[in-house]
Amino acid sequence: MLTRLPRLGLSLPRLLRNHPVRFVSQSKPSGAAGVAAVTELHPPAEKSDHGEVSPYVKNPDYHGFSDDPVVDEWNMRVGFFFGISVALVIGGAFIHYLPDHGMREWARREAERVIVQREQEGVPLLSEYYYDPNKIVVPGSGEE
Amino acid sequence: MVKFLFPTLMLHIHADLTNYRLMTLITQSSGHRLMIAMINVHLTLKMAQWLDEQHLNPYMAQTPYLPHFVLLTCWLLPLMIISSQHHMATEPINRQRTYIMLLTSLQFFLILAFSATELIMFYLMFEATLLPTLMIITRWGNQAERLNAGMYFLFYTLASSLPLLVALLLLQNTTGTLSLLTLQYSNPLNLSTYADKLWWAGCLIAFLVKMPLYGAHLWLPKAHVEAPVAGSMILAAVLLKLGGYGMMRMILLVLEPLSKELSYPFIVFALWGVVMTGLICLRQTDLKSLIAYSSVSHMGLVVGGILVQTPWGFAGALILMIAHGLTSSALFCLANTNYERIHSRNILLARGLQMVLPLMTTWWFIASLANLALPPLPNLMGELMILTSLINWSPWTLALTGAGVLITASYSLYMFLMTQRGPLPTHLIALDPSHSREHLLMALHLLPLLLLIFKPHLIWGWVS
Repeated sequence: MLTRLPRLGLSLPRLLRNHPVRFVSQSKPSGAAGVAAVTELHPPAEKSDHGEVSPYVKNPDYHGFSDDPVVDEWNMRVGFFFGISVALVIGGAFIHYLPDHGMREWARREAERVIVQREQEGVPLLSEYYYDPNKIVVPGSGEE
Repeated sequence: MVKFLFPTLMLHIHADLTNYRLMTLITQSSGHRLMIAMINVHLTLKMAQWLDEQHLNPYMAQTPYLPHFVLLTCWLLPLMIISSQHHMATEPINRQRTYIMLLTSLQFFLILAFSATELIMFYLMFEATLLPTLMIITRWGNQAERLNAGMYFLFYTLASSLPLLVALLLLQNTTGTLSLLTLQYSNPLNLSTYADKLWWAGCLIAFLVKMPLYGAHLWLPKAHVEAPVAGSMILAAVLLKLGGYGMMRMILLVLEPLSKELSYPFIVFALWGVVMTGLICLRQTDLKSLIAYSSVSHMGLVVGGILVQTPWGFAGALILMIAHGLTSSALFCLANTNYERIHSRNILLARGLQMVLPLMTTWWFIASLANLALPPLPNLMGELMILTSLINWSPWTLALTGAGVLITASYSLYMFLMTQRGPLPTHLIALDPSHSREHLLMALHLLPLLLLIFKPHLIWGWVS
């Protein structure tokens, strides 16, 4: 695990030696008072008190699912397969190839076609009449 | 609808059975992988279903904007389970089962609430979601303060939803029906007296507190901070949206003639809240609290968008709710990965993590940018639509929303810079590298958000 922390290369040998003191000042001590304060603030932790053993010690390929390496790997596989492959990839392709919902794309294409046609014919894009006035039967004024 | 409810019910049984048969074999200590599979399969079924807005029976129906919320709910449940794996790993198997059953029952109630067309049924399910959430917070939280947080959560939401019950009964008394399918054809109510105005407020206050509106938001940061990661995720991603969804439903169908005048103070409150909670975010030291306040700030915009009642406002609110659901949930997961390593939510203790967890920094980067609404992301589209409709309502709102957008960018970047950039503090030596589980979790949050860029009209609802 520690080899994955490239920036800690310098401190790696120190860590592997398992010093009981975890907080070591890198800078040169400027005065006796400062050093004393640091050691007082951070007393060396007992190793048994820490309570957390890195799972990478037991299983270097730890994926974060379970302590058992087999369960861990299968969990990872199933999770990635159903999460990424099925849901995102197949689901994404499925959505992409869905038919035109509510005929929105068709309506847009049709509108563009009608606009081009009307501009070629030189008629206004929209008629000012919502209904064709010829088709509306108006009752005559004089005839009762 | 049965397609969603039945698998959800099956999850209950499944959580029971895995203990005896499969749990030893496939997933020993925290096995619920198969549930995720089931959920995902029925997720794809649901996508097919949102093609035709169907009405299954008079009490449940799919409305044009419903599938987004149901989908969000179903998507988040497996993510919640993945995220709490570390949290639950040390628990005995019975408690793990209870925990999973709690989460699935929450999903069950949420689906029912989102699909109810009868207002009383919606109310009941709205209230029913309280119980599992309360248990998640007060039982599985980490600190003793969780009891206080649970109390705040319970009493804020319960006290505010009692007027809703009274208002609904009154509506039933006046119109003779509470079915939204019937109500949309009924005549507009004759609302003129002061009592009617109180009734209007009663109908909305439950949702405004749930959203939450600034001023009634105090329960939210407490609940978020004290809840375990799954609780924070579901709270930020879905439960807040339940409020928005309820508002959309009520305001469109029931409250129509009065809302124009009466929504004025609430819009002002919401926008003021955007600025104020943004400013609160800027001085947070607690990572989860920061994300919680940022949720309040975003939800303020959503409240504004819904209350101006224009198609653009609604569409923007819907987009922002979906996008924010994914973003805030992702941020809570990220905060939890920090917490699991450093055992503190304090930002000051976890700085410079780019040095040790570089790939996690990438996720932080995407999530922070999504939170501050970077251009192609749906977050920005939602904010733009809401801002536009608010400017149309009154140009003066630009001062508040503009300031809000600036502050949102500031605190998102502040959060990113504080946690990721700079030198590594000396006390952070032996950190675990990020697990595949966490990368899977973040990918499942953020990839859908990125994919929505390419198919925006899935969430654009009214205008597309």
